[in-house]
Amino acid sequence: MDIITLAEVAGNLSTIGYGLAAIGPGLGIGYLVGKAIEGTARQPEVGGRLQVLMFLGLAFVEVLALLGFVLAFIK
Amino acid sequence: MVTGIAGMGFAAVTTLAEASGPDIPSIDDFLPEPALFAGTPFAINRIILVRIIATVLLIAILGVSAHRAKLIPSRWQGAVEWLIEFVQNSIVYEVMGELRGKRYVPMITTIFLSILVFNLCGIIPGFNIAATATITMPLAFALWCFVQYWIAGIREKGLGRFLKDELFPKGIPWPIYILLSPIQLIELLLIRPFSLTIRLFANMISGHLLVALCFAATQWFFIETTTKAQFPLGILTFAGGAFMTVFEMAVAGLQAFIFAILTTAYINMSLPETE
Amino acid sequence: METLAASGTDLFLPKSYDIVWSLVILVILALFFYKYFLPKFQHIFDERAEKIQGGIDKADQAQKEALEAKKKYEDKLGNARVEASKIRDDARAEASHIVADARSKAETEAAQVTANAQKSIESQQQQALVSLKGEVGVLATALAGKILGSKLDDGAVQSDMIDSMISDIDSDTSAK
Repeated sequence: MDIITLAEVAGNLSTIGYGLAAIGPGLGIGYLVGKAIEGTARQPEVGGRLQVLMFLGLAFVEVLALLGFVLAFIK
Repeated sequence: MVTGIAGMGFAAVTTLAEASGPDIPSIDDFLPEPALFAGTPFAINRIILVRIIATVLLIAILGVSAHRAKLIPSRWQGAVEWLIEFVQNSIVYEVMGELRGKRYVPMITTIFLSILVFNLCGIIPGFNIAATATITMPLAFALWCFVQYWIAGIREKGLGRFLKDELFPKGIPWPIYILLSPIQLIELLLIRPFSLTIRLFANMISGHLLVALCFAATQWFFIETTTKAQFPLGILTFAGGAFMTVFEMAVAGLQAFIFAILTTAYINMSLPETE
Repeated sequence: METLAASGTDLFLPKSYDIVWSLVILVILALFFYKYFLPKFQHIFDERAEKIQGGIDKADQAQKEALEAKKKYEDKLGNARVEASKIRDDARAEASHIVADARSKAETEAAQVTANAQKSIESQQQQALVSLKGEVGVLATALAGKILGSKLDDGAVQSDMIDSMISDIDSDTSAK
């Protein structure tokens, strides 16, 4: 193992890219679900409606993470 | 969901890929060579075989339960009825209300139960790969949803009003439309079906990679490697694999549920407001 | 990692045979659920709901009938009670009637007996009076004749005396 191979960064940059892409949606999903739970706790009777809205919002937010996932594979 | 699993999956694949030892799972698992009828449009590979067997099992089991269904339910029939009522009440009627939801109950039931069973194939020993683990199957379900919400919108409002409602939502100052309308159009045409597809597909890929990785490593540490010092690591990876299997079970149900509830919600958004 | 990345794009490109099998399976599943599975269970749900409804209706009916029967029996019981009291009243009335009858009959009989007795006493008295009158006349005439003897040879004096005596006796009797 010479000096050049030692310095080589092994692996795929897209992995790091995916990691970065997941930060935002991760925060977003956490915030979204937390708020939905909060809302349900305050008004349990609209829990079903809130759950649907939560999943709709989740679909929006998760698109970003999904794009990251796809781009990590596509080169 | 995807965020967590896939991240862990990538990290694990990257680190262990350098070791020469265990049989690391790769995405080649999801691109198996056709085994039967290769070269024809009816070629069957491993995943398609799993899909066909799962379909046959699903239809056989549910068909027999439906055939034997009685007025006074047995325990098994009670479980099947609970599933049907869950889809009907907790997904469709919850989102749409009973009146307009009635028409879509069979569709959502088909989607939910099929995806649930296909997903569960990923952890059933012998199958070991989800039947939804190629892009086409989720895409087929998503396109069905796509067609249904366009039809619903056009039938209930007419094409013009449907597009106007979707692209130019009320109560927004007009300059925003320059930005919003293209996004809405892309959302309507591409993002909805493809996010449905990719969400399900990505979950199945990452789940399979994680479970396979854990068990491949376990086998390596227990059987193939000669150094006994790595034995405790094997116990660790085995526990991880068991945990991931249970986790996959939960993910299978959750993804089926999300797919079904989003399909319902998308169709409901195409229908005129009644509240 | 190189092979993984190389085939990564393929993951997202549907293969023709995969499309065929996905659609075939989707159509089969949809047909199964639309045409057989859900209608069958819907049928069972409907039937069960109907049966439960029917059971409730039947129970309602039975309850209604039971209530009706109870009411009928109660009515009958009430009627019987009324009738019994009526009969009792009748019997009581009749009894008092009988007693009153018997009493009045006894009274009339008694009165009759008394009247008869009175009548026979009166007639006997009359008889006694008549015979006494005759006898007393004869006796008195004889006695007076004997006493007066000759003094009373004169016919006028004799009849005067007899008349005055009889009127005396009469006034005596009527005064009595």
